[in-house]
Amino acid sequence: MELFLGGCYQGKKEYVLKLHPECKGQVIEGENLPADWDGMIKELQEFENPVINHLHLWIRKCLEQQTDVELLADKLLETYPGLIFICDEIGNGIVPMDALERDYREQTGRLQIRIAEKAERVERIVCGISQRLK
Amino acid sequence: MIALVIGGSGSGKSAYAEQMAVKAAGNGSLYYVATMQVYDEEGKKKVERHQKMRAGKGFLTIEQPRRLKEAAKKVATERVPAGKAAAGVGKTVLLECMSNLVANEMFSEENLSAVMDKEKIRQLSGEIINGVTALHDSCDILIIVTNQIFEDGIRYDASTMDYIRLLGDVNRQIAERAEQVVEVVAGIPIFIKKDGI
Repeated sequence: MELFLGGCYQGKKEYVLKLHPECKGQVIEGENLPADWDGMIKELQEFENPVINHLHLWIRKCLEQQTDVELLADKLLETYPGLIFICDEIGNGIVPMDALERDYREQTGRLQIRIAEKAERVERIVCGISQRLK
Repeated sequence: MIALVIGGSGSGKSAYAEQMAVKAAGNGSLYYVATMQVYDEEGKKKVERHQKMRAGKGFLTIEQPRRLKEAAKKVATERVPAGKAAAGVGKTVLLECMSNLVANEMFSEENLSAVMDKEKIRQLSGEIINGVTALHDSCDILIIVTNQIFEDGIRYDASTMDYIRLLGDVNRQIAERAEQVVEVVAGIPIFIKKDGI
């Protein structure tokens, strides 16, 4: 498992595809990944080396559809230990007034932690340049 | 020794800072200065989650939403229950977190109507830093958790911008005095400053 973090428009996906040329054409966008287990499996089965890009948008979708994102994500990490995740950093601002916005940032951070614990590689990308954290 | 731990929402900064405090304390006494004021169910849940994380680690909790100097007095006089700390061993204080304390000071009743010009902000940050100094004087190791709120690119209303500026100012002054400054990303510590330890 691998995790790539950073702000938006930092060249995260480009960096990952350069590092893993075998993943070209294997990128699943978080906003297109269903927020239910059966739908997720179906989508993931289409790919040999799936990369989940914009993981934060999948988390947001789960929260909007009021599915248990923690439960679903843990199942995903257990079933697919070789996944590559790309996720925006969204938690480095004023804590929002709106409950969903707050939860979105908190849950994204916490899922990043759980992935980072399991991952053998964690990198943060700033201006297209990577900093290896793990 | 002062260590400053900074991270965003859900970054794992609290868990990391706690681990750091427990390790630093060894057989010494361990204090937790809690700054969060609870207003609603969500706040209550957050406090409960953090209490659960700290449970069984031997922290003596001091509720101190404002006026750090009073927390310093308590650390100097209150003893951790016998059996949990060996006599004569040092004191470690974990302060969580600076972003709440700064908000509580800035939006307190007496400051709410004050004009937040540069001078007022300087005065407030001076008072807060004096509190940090007093707290540091009362213990051997002070670990401060603060929040990374500076990177969302949003221009907020004047009072929120004043708050961001004040917290930025306080963070910088603490970082200057600190031996260690650690940013936590996805639960992983990144050392921004590490002097001699």
